[in-house]
Amino acid sequence: MTFSKLYDTPATAVADIHDGATLLIGGATRNSEPTALLVALLASGVRDLTCVCDFADWDGSEGVLQLAHAERIASIISPFPFAGESGGVIRKQWQAGALAVEVIPQGTLAERLRAAGAGIGGVFTPVVLGTRFADGRETRTVNGVECVLESPLRADFALIRADRADALGNLAYQGAQRGWNAVMAPAARITIAEVDVVGEPGAIDPELVITPGIYVNRVVHAPPTGEQG
Amino acid sequence: MTDDKERLDRAIIAMRVARELPPGATVNLGIGIPTLVSMFVADDSIVFYHSESGVLNCGPLAEDGNEDIDLINAGGQFLEPVPGMAYFSSVDAFAMIRGGHVDVTILGAHQVSATGDLANWMLPDRGVGNIGGAMDLAAGAEKVIVAMEHNDRNGNPKVVQECSFPLTGKGCVSLVVTDVAVMEPTPDGMALREVAPGWSADEVQSVTGARLIIPDSVAEYEV
Amino acid sequence: MPPAKLDPQAMARRAAGFIAPGDVVAVDSGLPSLVPGVTPPDLGAWFLRNNGMLNDLPLSLADAAAVTRGGYVDLAVVNAGQVDAAGSFSSLISTVHSGPNPPGNAVDLAAGSGRVIAMLPHADDQGRPNIVATLSSPADGLRCVSAIITDIAVIEVDSGGLTLAEVAPGWSGNDVRALTGADISISPALREMDFSPPTGVPPSKVYPDGPSAIADVPDGATVFIDGFGGPGGMAHYLLISLRDQGSRDLTIVSNTAGIARVVSFGTPPGRTAIDHSVLIENGQVAKAIASFPVSPSVSRPSEFELAYRRGEVDLELVPQGTLAERLRAGGAGIHAFYTPTGAGTLIAEGKESRNIDGRDYILEYGLRADFAIIRAHKADTNGNLVYRGTSRNFNAVMAPAARVTVVEVDEIVEAGQLDPEEIVTPGVFVQRIVKRPDAFTGYE
Repeated sequence: MTFSKLYDTPATAVADIHDGATLLIGGATRNSEPTALLVALLASGVRDLTCVCDFADWDGSEGVLQLAHAERIASIISPFPFAGESGGVIRKQWQAGALAVEVIPQGTLAERLRAAGAGIGGVFTPVVLGTRFADGRETRTVNGVECVLESPLRADFALIRADRADALGNLAYQGAQRGWNAVMAPAARITIAEVDVVGEPGAIDPELVITPGIYVNRVVHAPPTGEQG
Repeated sequence: MTDDKERLDRAIIAMRVARELPPGATVNLGIGIPTLVSMFVADDSIVFYHSESGVLNCGPLAEDGNEDIDLINAGGQFLEPVPGMAYFSSVDAFAMIRGGHVDVTILGAHQVSATGDLANWMLPDRGVGNIGGAMDLAAGAEKVIVAMEHNDRNGNPKVVQECSFPLTGKGCVSLVVTDVAVMEPTPDGMALREVAPGWSADEVQSVTGARLIIPDSVAEYEV
Repeated sequence: MPPAKLDPQAMARRAAGFIAPGDVVAVDSGLPSLVPGVTPPDLGAWFLRNNGMLNDLPLSLADAAAVTRGGYVDLAVVNAGQVDAAGSFSSLISTVHSGPNPPGNAVDLAAGSGRVIAMLPHADDQGRPNIVATLSSPADGLRCVSAIITDIAVIEVDSGGLTLAEVAPGWSGNDVRALTGADISISPALREMDFSPPTGVPPSKVYPDGPSAIADVPDGATVFIDGFGGPGGMAHYLLISLRDQGSRDLTIVSNTAGIARVVSFGTPPGRTAIDHSVLIENGQVAKAIASFPVSPSVSRPSEFELAYRRGEVDLELVPQGTLAERLRAGGAGIHAFYTPTGAGTLIAEGKESRNIDGRDYILEYGLRADFAIIRAHKADTNGNLVYRGTSRNFNAVMAPAARVTVVEVDEIVEAGQLDPEEIVTPGVFVQRIVKRPDAFTGYE
C-alpha cells in the first residue's frame, strides 16, 4: 500500500462539507483562491456556511461570490467583506438581513488563525486598542502596555490553493499565494488543498516546503483551466 | 517472588507499541525505548515521524558514515534523509504539537499515575532536570503512550497510585506499555490490559505501585 | 480655474521622499501601493504590502503581521478616507460606504509602525473636505498620523493640531485652507512640494569579523544564543568572539545551556565541542533561560550544571515549545499568551491558570533580547537567510525577537542571489552578518 492524500476530484474532496460548516477560504487573488474546490462546493448544494476569507466580494473572486449569489452563505468573517463601491451581492444580502458580517482587521485575523493552528488559547496584543474592534473585549495591562485578548479562530474545513504538492500533502506556493493559504492550513480540522502540480514524495525540496503535510488532509490536482489570470 | 521472572526486552516493548500506531498517523518518538519503535512499524503501515528538531516525515537513524550535523532528531541523533521530508523552525515544530496535529507521541517516564499523570523530566535527587519538548507533547499530542521498564533499577515501581516526582502533564497518558504489562489509565484507576508471557495478573500487581483494575481474563502480550 | 491637483503618481513621489535608506515601509492598498514603484531601488527600502509580499519575499499573513506588530515597520503609508486634526484616521468614509467599515490592514499599520503617514485626496468630487474636525466613521487608527499627503498639500500633524507645510505647485496656503475641514495653521516656512527622489544607501550589514559584530554587547545584556543541542546551527565563531570580548552578567536564552561538549554528537576524538560552556567557564553568565539546561547524563555534568550547583548562575526552566512561543511572541508584538503546556505542573506555579473551552492553560509572556547570536547557512547582503535542515530550529525564531540580530553564516552572497521562495528569515530581522572563517571547525 502506498499512502496518498490525493483525491480524484474536487467533488470527492469536499463531499463531507456539511450545512452550517465554518470554512477558511484562502487567497486574495485569482491565482491564490481554491477555485475548483469552491465550484465543487457550489455544486454540492451545501448551505448556511460561515466563510472566513480576506476579500469576500471582488471582481476576481469566482468562488465566494458564486456561493453568495446562490445564497449559501450565512455568515462572512473578513477584513474586506464588501465590494469597494456601494454595490455588491454581499452588501445587499447583509442589508436585507440574510447574511451576517463580522469585520476583523487583517492582522488580527491572521493572528487568530495562527493561534488556532498552534494550540494557543489566546494572545494579548495592543493592536486594536481604542478602535471599535476593542469594544466589549477583555483587556489587561501586560508589562505596562494595555492589551486586548484575541481568541483563536478555528474552523471545520480550510479550502486552500498551493502551487504544488506531494502525495504526503507537503505544499509549496508561488509568491503572494502563500499569504492566507499558509496561515489557514493549520487552523482547520480538515484542510483541503487544490494545487497545480502533484509529485511523488521528494518532489519538493524539504527546505522549500512551506506547509508541511501534517497540516494537509486532502490534495486535489486542479491545474489552471486556461482562463486569463 | 517475581525477581527472577523473565521480563520482555526493550525491543519487544517497542514492537508492542508499534501495533498502536494507526496507518497514516503522525507520530513523535521520545528518547530511549520510544526511538526503537520506528524499527518495528510494519512496512505496509505508513506512519509519519515528527521531530521537535524541526523535521517531518524523517527517516531512520543515519547509517555510519552518513551523519549530517544538520539532520538530527530531538535526541541529537543523526537521521537518514528520505523523500518527502519538510523542515521547519522550532516555533512551527511546537505549533504542530500544541495545535493537536501530532496524533501519537511515545514517551519514556519516571512515573505514571493510575489516572494518567506523567512524570518524566526530573528525578528529585538531581534537583534539576531537562523538560525539553516533553511538556508540550504531554499537553498537545492527541494520544500519549508511555513505553518504559516497569520498575526502576532499584526495583521501585514506576506505575504508581500518585506521582511523587514533578509532573510533566496531568491525566495525559492513555496507554502504558512496560516489560511486564500493558495498562490503561482510567478515571477509576489503572486498568490491566495485557501481561507478558509467563506473568499472572497478581504477579504484575506485586511489582506495581498502583492498585490495578484486573479484568476477569487478561490477554497475553501480542507482538 | 483652480490650479491642477496632483495626480496619484506625483503624490506617491512626494510620499517616497519620507523614506530613509533601509527603511521598512508598510504600504496600504490604493494610493500608497504606488509608492514602491517611484522609490529608487538603491535606497534599499523594504516594502511590505497587504498581501504579505515584503519586496519580492512572500510571507504568510501571520509572518507579515509579525513584522508590523513586532515594531519592524519604520514608516506606514495608509490609504485614508478621512483624517482628523488629532491625526486619527478612518479608511473609508461612511457616507459612501454603508455597512461595517472594512479596516483591511489599516488597524495593524496604525498601531505597530514607527511613523504613519496618510495619503488621500484633499477633498471629494463635490469639494467636501476629507480632512475634518470629526471623523464620520469610526477610527481605524487613533492619533497616529504624523503627516498627510494630499493632492494639493503636505500637512504635518502633532499635538498642536494641523500645520500646512507644503503646497502643490500653483496652490496657496489659503486655497488649501479653504478645502480643509479642520483648523489648520500655515507654517511660516510654507514651501512648494518637492518631488525629488530620496537618496542614499543603507549602511552595509556585513561585518569584517566576529569581534567587530559583537563588540557592543554590554554587561548585563540578554542574549539569545542558538543551538538545539548538537553542533549544527550554532554560531561557534561568534560564541568565541563573545568570550574574548568578555561582557559579563549575561542572561543567555537558549534551548540548551551547553551540552554539546558533554554529549558526543559526532565530536571528533580528542576535540572539544564549542558551546555555551565557553561563556560559563569564563564567568560571563549570570542566568540561563533554557528548556534542556543540563546534560542528559548525570555522570557527565555540563559546565552550566557545575556552575548552577556552585550557586554561580540562575536558571529559568521553560518547556521547549513555550520557549519557542515566547520568542515568537516577543518578535510579533504579542505581550502574553495562553498555552496548555505545563498546566498542572511545577511550571504553572505562580502563573495565571485559566480554563478556556474546557482545556487548562497558563499565561506566558513574550521574550525579547538585546542581541541574538544565530547561525544560518547563507545570507545575502540584505540579511535574508537560508538555513540547512534541522539547524533552522531556534535560529529562525530568535532573529525577529532581538534588537540586534547577528548571524554567522557559511557563505555571503549578493542581494538577489537567493530564491525568494527559499528565504526563511527576511533581512528586516537581521542587523549584522559575519562570515564564519573557512578554517573554523566548531571544535577546540
